[in-house]
Amino acid sequence: MDASVLKQKDSRWAMILILGLLVTGVWDALFLNKPALRFVVSGFFNTICVALLVVVFTLIFAWIVTLVLNYLESHNRRASYMLVTFLLNTIRSVPQVVGILFGYIAVGIMLQNGIIRGALPVFPLLAVSISVFVFIEFVDLMRERIAHYKKLDFYNAMQVCGISESRIINIDILWKNSRIHIFNKLISVFGAAIFLQCSVDFIISVGLSTDVNATALPATMGSMLANIDSKQDVLAIGYALTHPLYVGNLFFEHLQGLTVAFLIVFLLVCTFHIANGYAQRHRL
Amino acid sequence: MKTKLAEHFFSVVFVTVLLLLLLFVVRSSSNAVINKEKARLSAYGDLGFVDFKDSFHKALLKDVINAYYPDQYDTNAVIVNEILASREKEFSEKIQKSYIEEKLSGAKILQLCGMYVKFLLVYIVVMLLTYYGVQTLGVYRFVRKKQMLLQRKKSLLFRSKTAMKAIGTTAAYFVLFSPAYVIAYSIRTEFNTDTIIFMALLGVISNGLLVTYMNKFFAFLTAESRKGYIDTAIVKNLNNAYGQHEKGGISYAEIFRPFKTFDGHVFDHIYKNARYQYLSTVKEQASFLISGLIIIEMALNIHGHLSYELLRQLLYKNYDIVIVIVLFIFYTVKGTEVFVDLLINREEKKYENK
Amino acid sequence: MINDQFSVQVYSHSRPIVTVDSYEVPRDQITFLFGESGIGKSMISKAIYGLLDGDELDISVNGKKYSDYLKETKTAEIKKNSFFVFQEPSSHLNPLLNISSQLREGSLALSDAEQEIMMRLWRGTDENAVKRILDVFPKPYRPSGGEKQRILLAMAFKKIDVFLQTKTSDSPSYFVFDEPTGSLDNTYRNLFIRLLFQCYQTKPFTVTIITHDYSVISELYTKYTPLLDVIHLKELRRSKGAAVELVDFSADDYLTWLDKSKPVISASGAQQPVLTMAPHFKIFGRKLCLYGDAAHSREKTLVINKGEMAYVKAPSGVGKTTLAKVILGLYKSRESDLTISGIAINENTPQKKLAKKIWGKRAGMVFQHADESLDLQSSVGETFAGLPLTPALNRESIKNKLHELFEQPLSEAFLSKKVAFLSGGQKQRLNLLRTLALGTDLIILDEPLNGLDFVSVKKVLELLAEKQKQGAALLMISHNEEIFDHFVDPQNIYYLAETA
Repeated sequence: MDASVLKQKDSRWAMILILGLLVTGVWDALFLNKPALRFVVSGFFNTICVALLVVVFTLIFAWIVTLVLNYLESHNRRASYMLVTFLLNTIRSVPQVVGILFGYIAVGIMLQNGIIRGALPVFPLLAVSISVFVFIEFVDLMRERIAHYKKLDFYNAMQVCGISESRIINIDILWKNSRIHIFNKLISVFGAAIFLQCSVDFIISVGLSTDVNATALPATMGSMLANIDSKQDVLAIGYALTHPLYVGNLFFEHLQGLTVAFLIVFLLVCTFHIANGYAQRHRL
Repeated sequence: MKTKLAEHFFSVVFVTVLLLLLLFVVRSSSNAVINKEKARLSAYGDLGFVDFKDSFHKALLKDVINAYYPDQYDTNAVIVNEILASREKEFSEKIQKSYIEEKLSGAKILQLCGMYVKFLLVYIVVMLLTYYGVQTLGVYRFVRKKQMLLQRKKSLLFRSKTAMKAIGTTAAYFVLFSPAYVIAYSIRTEFNTDTIIFMALLGVISNGLLVTYMNKFFAFLTAESRKGYIDTAIVKNLNNAYGQHEKGGISYAEIFRPFKTFDGHVFDHIYKNARYQYLSTVKEQASFLISGLIIIEMALNIHGHLSYELLRQLLYKNYDIVIVIVLFIFYTVKGTEVFVDLLINREEKKYENK
Repeated sequence: MINDQFSVQVYSHSRPIVTVDSYEVPRDQITFLFGESGIGKSMISKAIYGLLDGDELDISVNGKKYSDYLKETKTAEIKKNSFFVFQEPSSHLNPLLNISSQLREGSLALSDAEQEIMMRLWRGTDENAVKRILDVFPKPYRPSGGEKQRILLAMAFKKIDVFLQTKTSDSPSYFVFDEPTGSLDNTYRNLFIRLLFQCYQTKPFTVTIITHDYSVISELYTKYTPLLDVIHLKELRRSKGAAVELVDFSADDYLTWLDKSKPVISASGAQQPVLTMAPHFKIFGRKLCLYGDAAHSREKTLVINKGEMAYVKAPSGVGKTTLAKVILGLYKSRESDLTISGIAINENTPQKKLAKKIWGKRAGMVFQHADESLDLQSSVGETFAGLPLTPALNRESIKNKLHELFEQPLSEAFLSKKVAFLSGGQKQRLNLLRTLALGTDLIILDEPLNGLDFVSVKKVLELLAEKQKQGAALLMISHNEEIFDHFVDPQNIYYLAETA
C-alpha cells in the first residue's frame, strides 16, 4: 500500500478501524465461547446494517425535502414553504432519543401484533425511525450549499445561460460541488446512527423489556450490552480499575461485554476521526 | 425575530394540542377494546357465582354451556377457555395495577414538577460547563497546534512527546466518546453513580458531546483564522505569537479563564468571530445534551428522575403521565431555542448596524 | 538604485503553485504590476512580505525555508514598517469590530493623522458623515464597497504616516496595494494615486501596486511625468507550468493601441431595437435613472439596436450590475418598462417564461467574477453542457469555440481539465465563451475584462467586435472607462444614477 495514503487522517483511521475489527474478531474467535460469539457477531452486523440503512434513508429524505423546499421557495409558494419548514422545525425540537424511542416502541408493538413479520421489514422500519430525527441536519446542509451558490453569481450565471434549474441544483450544486460535504455528513450520520441505535436499544432492553419484547427486535450491540452477562463484564472493568492485577482477566473472562462496549466506542471514535480527517483533507 | 417567535409559539401550541389529542385517542381506543371483550363474554351471563379454582365448578359450567348450545362442543370449549383466561387476566391486572397504575393527579403533577426542576438544574449546569469546556478545549487545541509548528519536529524528544500525547489523546477520545451507560456501568461497583453531581459530570464528559462540539468550535477557529481580516490584523502588527512564554504570546491562564479576551492579539479577532459563529450551534448542542441526559437517566435507571419516570410510565402504559413528561422535555428544548434566538438577535442587532 | 531580488517557490502538497526565479522589487520606488489574474502576483507579494501560512504551503524565499526567511531581521523590519492592502475589501475588515477600532489597532495607533486622512479620502465630505462611518460595523451593504476600500487605504496611509515619522533613513519598507481601486471609480482612483505620490515625495518608500486597470497608465503619463523615473510598469507572465517571469510592460503598446481603437460600425446598420428600457426603475427601495449625459440633466431611454454596443457608466455601488439583473428579470424591479426582442419583461413576468423565452434564448449575460460564475468542479468541456443549443455542442465544436480566445492547438486534455485548475484569465475567457456560444440577440457583459492580461484584453475586444458585426446587441458594464470610451459610440453611452 502507498504509504502516503496513511498520511491522510481519514485513510489512517479507516485502516485502524478495519484492523481493530479484525483483531477483535480473531481474539473473540479464539477466546469467546461459540454461542456468545454468534450473539456478538449477529449484534454487530445488525447494528451496522441498520446504521447503513439510516445513512441511505437520511440521504433520500433530505434530498427530497431539499428539492421540495427549493421548489416552493423559488415558485413563491410561501404558505406551503412555511408549513414544511414549521413541521421540520417541530421535529427538530423533539430530542432525537425520545423520538426514536417512540419509533422503536411502535415497531415493537407492530411486531408483537403480527402486523410485520421477520427481520426484513424490521430493519428498514428501525432505520426510518432514526432517519426521521437525523435527516433535518442534512437538509440544513444541502440548503446551505444551495443558498451559498445562489448568493454567488454561480446560480444566476448558469440560469441566464438557459441551463435548467434542476440541472443546476442537482448536478452542479449538490453533486459536483457538494458531494464532499454530503459524504462527510453521511459519515457523521453513520456514527450518530450507531450511537442512537445502541442507546435506544440499551434503554429498551433495560427499561422496557416487558413491554417491547427484547427478543422481538433484532439483537444489536445496545441490547447486547444490556444483557446481564455483558453488564457483569462491563462492571468488571470498574473492578479492574481499582485492582489492576485483574486487567488480564477482562480479556478472557469478560470478553462478551468487553467486546460489545469496545466495539461501540471504537466505532464512534473511528467514525469521528474519519469524518474529521475527511473534512480536513478537503478543507471543509 | 417576530416571525421566529411566532413560529416557536405555534410549534408549542401545535405539539401540545397534538399530544393531548393523542392522549384522548389512546384512552378512547383502550376503553373500546376492553368494552368489546367484556361485551362478547357478557352474553354468558353473570358468572360471579362460579368458583373457577374448583374443577367441579368448571366442569359444571362447560356442561351447562353444552346443554344450551348442543351442536358446537368445540366452540363451547374455546368459550370456556376464553372466560377462564379473561378472569385470570382481570385478576392479575388487578394485582399489577395496584402498584403500577397511576392517575395524573395534582399530586402527581407536583411530583413531576419536582423532577423537572431537578432535570432543568442538571441541564443548565451541564450546558454552562460544556459551553465553557467546548471553547476552552477548542482554544487550547488551536493554540497548541500553532505552538507545535514552532517546535523542532525531528528531535527525539519531540517525537517521543508526540507519541505519548497521541496515546493520551486517543485514551481521552475513548472516554469522551463512550456512551454514558458504558462509563457508568464500568465504574458502578466503585462509585455511587446515582448522584446528581455524577450525572452532571457524565453529561459533560460522555456521549461525545464535549468532543463533538469542541471539534466544531476548533473548526470555526480554523476557518476564521483563514479569513482576510486576520491578514489585515497581522499587517497592523497585532501580536501574532502563540508560544506560552513568548513575548506577546498566549498563556494558559488566558486560555482557561471563563471570560476570555486576548487583547492586542490577532487571536482575539479569531476567537470572538468563532464564538459568534458558535452561537448558532448552541441550539443543536442543547438538543444533543438533552438527548444525552435522557439517555443517562433512562439507562442508569436513576429513580426519581424525569426521564426514568418517563420510561417507567411507558412500561406501565400510564400514557397521560408519559405525555406530560414529553411535553416538559419539548418545552425545555423550545425554551432553549427561544433563548438562543433572542441572544442571536441581540448580537445581530449590534453587529448589523440596526 | 538598490534593487531587491527575490526568488520565490510556493508548493502545495508537492504541487507547484507559483515559482519565480528573479523577482525584482526596486527599493524605495513604485512598481505597477500587471498580469492575468491567478498568475501569482498577490502570492509572490505576500510571500515576500511574510504573510503566507507556512503550515498550509511549502514555501521558500531566496532558497531559504520560509520559517528561516521569516526570522530574518530584514523581513521582521519590513513587517514592522509596512502595510498590505488586500483585494476584496469586504472580507478584509473584521465584521465584529467597528471601523474606528479597526483604524486604531496595533501600529496604526501610532499615527495621529487619522482625521486628516479620512477627510482627504472622503473628498471633503462633512466631518459628521465621516464620523458616522467610523461608528458602524462592516457589513455587506454598509459601508459600501467603495467606502470599505477607502477604509483599507486609510489604514495604509496611517501606516505610511508612521513610516514617514521614523528617523532612520534606511529602514526597509514594502507597501503593497493589491487591486486598491477595484471598487473605486476613476475619480477616487486618481485621488488615491495623488495622495500616495504626495506621501512618497515626502520620503520615498517601496511600493507595489497590483492592478488590471491599464487606464492608470494614461493617468501616470499625463499627470506624473516628473515621477516616471521612479515608476516601473511590470508584467508577470507565465513561462512554463507554474513558473512565471517578471517582464517590463510597455506603456507605448497600450497607449498606441488605445489611440487606434474606434467604435465598431455594424454592417446590419438598420435600427432594429433588441433592448429598450425606460429610464426610470425602482429597486430595493431606491429610484434609479438612466441619463444621456455625465451631468445627469437629460434622461434617456436605453435602446440597443442590432449590432450596437451600449456602455453604462456609474460610480461603484450605484447599481450597474443591479441594472443588468433587472433587465434579465433576475431582480424584480418596480415600475420598470423594458422589452427584449419584442418580449415585455416586468416584475410580474414569471420565472418560467423567462427560462423558456429569454435566458439563453434571446439574452445572455457574462457575470463579472469568473470564479463564481463557472462550475469549478466541471471540466472545460462540461462547462458547455446543459446549454439550450440544438444540436448540443460536441467536443469538436467546443474546441472551435475555445479557439476564439485560447491559443491553438487545444488538446483533448485541455477539454478534460478541471476549471478550478485554470488561471484566472483562462477562467474569464471561458466565462465569456460560454455566453457567447449561445448566440443570443442581446449579450450583457459585466466587467468582461476583469483579470485579463493585455494580450487577452485585445483578443476579447476583437471577438466582441466580431459579434457586433454579426448583429449581436451588447450592453457593456465596466470600470475601464478609458478603453470603452474609445470602443463605444458616444451616443450609446449611458449614465446611471440614483434619484430622489
